[in-house]
Amino acid sequence: MSAASDDWEGPGRSSGGRWGFRWSDLVWALVFPRTGQRIMPTVSGVILVALAFGIGTAAYNTANNILFITLSLLLACLLLSGVLSWLNSKGMAWRLQPPPSLRAGQEAVVALELHNAKRLLPTYGLWFGATARPVDPVPPGTGEKSKDRPVREILAETEKERIRTRLFLRGRLDAGGTARLEWNLKPTRRGTLRLALENVGSLFPFGFLQKRIGGGLRREVVVWPAAIEYRRWGALSSRPQTAGARVARAGSGIDLFALRRYEPGDSHRLIHWKASARSRQLLVRQFAAESQESLALWLQTPADRWSRPEQFELLVSFAATLAEDLFRAGRLTTVAVNDRPPLPVRRVRDFESFLDALAVVQPLPAAAPSPDEATRAGAGGKNLIIFAPDGARGVAAFVDGEKTASA
Amino acid sequence: MAPSKPQLSLDDLQQLKWLLGGVLALFSAWTVFYLDVDAWTLLILNTVAILVALVRPGWLARIPVAAHAAAFPVIVACFLADLWSGGQLLPAMIRLDLMLILYRSLSYRQRRDDLQLIVLGLFLVVVAGVLTVSLAFAFQILAFTACALAFLFVITLVDASEAVWPPVPTPLFTWRISVATPAWVRHADWLRLLGRLRAVSDWRILVFGALLFAGVVGASGLLFMAIPRFQLENSLFLDRFISKKARTGFTDNIKFGDVTDIISDNGLAVSIDVSDPAQMPATPYLRMVVLDEYRDGSFLLSAPLRRAVFEREQPAMGVYGTERPRPGAPVYWTFYLESGVSRYLPLPGSFERLNFRELQNVQASKSLRLLALRNEPVTMTAYRIDGVNTSPLLPDPAFAQSLRTALRDPEGRPVRASRRELALPFGASDQAALQAAVAKITGGAALGAEEFARRACEWLDAQHDYSLQSTLPSGTGDPLVRWIGGREPGHCELFAGSFIVLARAAGFPARLVSGFKGGTWNAFSNNLTVRNSNAHAWCEIWNGAGAWLRVDPTPGSAPVTSANEPAGEAALAARMDRSWSARLDSLRIFWYRRIVNFDRGNQLDTLRNVKSATQLYAQRARAALDRIVQSGRAWLASGWNGRRIATVVATLFALAGAGWAALAAVRGWRWRRRRTGDGSRSDPARREAGRWLARLQERKTGGAPVVLDVWPQLERIRYGSRPSWPDLESVFRQARQALRAR
Repeated sequence: MSAASDDWEGPGRSSGGRWGFRWSDLVWALVFPRTGQRIMPTVSGVILVALAFGIGTAAYNTANNILFITLSLLLACLLLSGVLSWLNSKGMAWRLQPPPSLRAGQEAVVALELHNAKRLLPTYGLWFGATARPVDPVPPGTGEKSKDRPVREILAETEKERIRTRLFLRGRLDAGGTARLEWNLKPTRRGTLRLALENVGSLFPFGFLQKRIGGGLRREVVVWPAAIEYRRWGALSSRPQTAGARVARAGSGIDLFALRRYEPGDSHRLIHWKASARSRQLLVRQFAAESQESLALWLQTPADRWSRPEQFELLVSFAATLAEDLFRAGRLTTVAVNDRPPLPVRRVRDFESFLDALAVVQPLPAAAPSPDEATRAGAGGKNLIIFAPDGARGVAAFVDGEKTASA
Repeated sequence: MAPSKPQLSLDDLQQLKWLLGGVLALFSAWTVFYLDVDAWTLLILNTVAILVALVRPGWLARIPVAAHAAAFPVIVACFLADLWSGGQLLPAMIRLDLMLILYRSLSYRQRRDDLQLIVLGLFLVVVAGVLTVSLAFAFQILAFTACALAFLFVITLVDASEAVWPPVPTPLFTWRISVATPAWVRHADWLRLLGRLRAVSDWRILVFGALLFAGVVGASGLLFMAIPRFQLENSLFLDRFISKKARTGFTDNIKFGDVTDIISDNGLAVSIDVSDPAQMPATPYLRMVVLDEYRDGSFLLSAPLRRAVFEREQPAMGVYGTERPRPGAPVYWTFYLESGVSRYLPLPGSFERLNFRELQNVQASKSLRLLALRNEPVTMTAYRIDGVNTSPLLPDPAFAQSLRTALRDPEGRPVRASRRELALPFGASDQAALQAAVAKITGGAALGAEEFARRACEWLDAQHDYSLQSTLPSGTGDPLVRWIGGREPGHCELFAGSFIVLARAAGFPARLVSGFKGGTWNAFSNNLTVRNSNAHAWCEIWNGAGAWLRVDPTPGSAPVTSANEPAGEAALAARMDRSWSARLDSLRIFWYRRIVNFDRGNQLDTLRNVKSATQLYAQRARAALDRIVQSGRAWLASGWNGRRIATVVATLFALAGAGWAALAAVRGWRWRRRRTGDGSRSDPARREAGRWLARLQERKTGGAPVVLDVWPQLERIRYGSRPSWPDLESVFRQARQALRAR
């Protein structure tokens, strides 16, 4: 494999297995060290320096060449340590591979792939300091209040939200080999999470110095709202189908609904060969949904209605959970967030786009959209789920004015 | 991609760490062997205990926790008691160090304990090096460094494998009765570990590691030469904390016993660099002690002479001698006197100036040409003598003056009782025997000192043979007189002593000199090597003309030489040594010259040499470039014709073609390597697969189904591209099972 692609970072990123040393890089790194580059003596390093200092003092005090040669050996060992450390991290490339999205409160695996592009030498004992922090460190809705808070408190809160970990390369990574380190990450709240490989450190080879170089990796992932428990009222689960209403949406029924272009991942059994032959492109059959009822969901977030941050977060999580349940049941047809155009939900990607929107939705300072706009929700105002505060803390979902669920 | 080599588990690494720690502890403890410290019991205890702990680490779990808790206070108490009873700090510290190493070797070590072990070991090695300044230190420190680096390397790997984030705090106190046995101890199997090490080893990495270590040694050598040298304060450092006894017995007292059996000791005593070997006498005599008084069968340095001729002891970096600067290039001798020889320094004769490498407490006697240090040096002592005069005649105006003013008998000769150099404290019978012997030597004639010396030596040579084992004739009276009257063989001291009493009986002042005679010329390091077996005793007789004349009555020597002996290449060739021991000695002299004796002067010399060499090569390069440019111009200026142009064009094309072919070959080689991942068949996994293919060839021909299953996978590893390899370990395991299957 090659580590030449763009998402790789590290000394061996562009080397592709070749020695990528350049003197100009070395000189420039001495003049202007890279971010995160740091060398700190460890306990054994301090002992070595103290020993060297003591032996040097004794050597100069006595002009004893035995002490001078011992001092030279100690210093040469320090040099060797530096050279081996450089060789150890040389040719190393790494990349973060987070899942496309995370869910608040649920654990997910963020992979760190390592590649040793050296030809002969293995790599040992690296560790990777990784952090995850919300891009917007201040929880939504608290922005106004935060102006009056002391900076230290804000910083402490930001730091509290930052998730830190260290991933260790425990074994040997052979020349040309790859390894995968896994980070079980559990985001606490929705939003955009910035994953960063802050530094790459090592005590290799003798533990005299703790060397850190900047990891140089930043990735942003969307954290969907958390799934929560909510209570369903009878109206949601047993709403009768309106007489004569026809469901015009794709589903898993037996009636042909439409033809559409083939997309990777579609079952080959769904390919309509005759139509494909006529149109000279692959077309697949879509069947009509069998459900008797469909629902549209419209999330409105006017700030004057959702003034309490906790209640707002509950609203978003509730909307996401309810929408997911309806989608799984094949009853969700259209979703809309505030004044954005309604989005038909035909496939998983459509639903995930809705969750992406929920991940970053904020209370709107403007007034709520007019009922005319509400009619754009696709169901003609009928079978439309909307949300309203339920007391001081709760949130309730209404379908056509009837309370159907609450959280 | 599948790993080409298996990995060491955490248990393997822990076991390797334990093994290396034990070896390091043993190695450090054994440096005490070179020190003259009374720590043999501790050394043996350390060796046995560490070896047992190495082989059976599980036994350490049986040591109660209380013993571990009490160990350190007990060790400190032992140290304080040792210091109080012995009074010597350094030996007590060495014994303390040994106890701490033992303690650390008998407990399961954490990281900080491992670091302590290294520091304790380094202390012992450095102390041994400073106190002995021997060549063995060079090997010790190199081996210790290699071992310590490997130890630290494994510690780092263990830490990386054990890494926990955040760190788990360890309890400060525990109430357990016995120490918990770590998991690696339960699985300890050294043979298996060796097998695992062999399996994970890659000879290329090992060679690379060896080269890196050689680089460390080279870098430390460069640092050693480059470290700026200036001395903050002249002090005598560690050697003041320890005392040592002489091994060779060069003292200011020679006693003649009834039976003497001299053991031949071939240990190195002195190495001497001579700036101009042609100026070295064929048989150098190195004077150390002059014994003027004979009493009760012993020659000794008399107290009055000691008081009269030795200057007050004082710390000095150098001493001026009696010689005056002479025109011409100065000849200097550099001496490297091994420890344990004597506190008297071997000197080839008169000198102009003697310089020490470091400050010494020295007592000098210009008239005797002797130098004595306060204590016998515990390390190698280096000193350089400028303006050496190796003449066998030593002028002594002070003695001549004192002789002129001495009491004289009616015949005008000095009264014997008034001069120690003439005194013969014998009974009447001994006196008579001596006079009889003198009469035989002189034949009744009045002889000069030189002629008497020659005849006396011939007479002694005729009477006695040389032997290291000697026996004195039984009887009463002085032992030397008895030996003179008998026919028993004797050694140099008997010959020299006999000559002196004969010379004194004849009225010539004489004294005994002890030191070294001869030596071999090391053909590899070009220096004079003097061994303990070259220890010798000879005489000096007053020649009546203001000087002492060297006389060597021992058979096989030129008895009297009044002028410098012939020297030069022929003399060197006669004593040339090309043996293996000479090779080893040359290493030692290299160590002394380039390491131990390296100072700011040598540093400046090295820099000057580097500068001059750089200038020389730059001049040569410039001259070569000028020649090329000149010849190019001449070639261009010479006549051109069609044939010449065609030749030049053809040559250019040929060169371009060869370059292109070479480039294409390199690119093709790289392409092949890239295509196969690693085209080299020297890959250890490919070679292993090749070996299994060869082993299974016969069974494959027999059509064994197990072999047929694994065969394609082995072929893929042997010849296929690396990314297509299956899991190596499982394939090789399958091949092993296929070979065993019947």
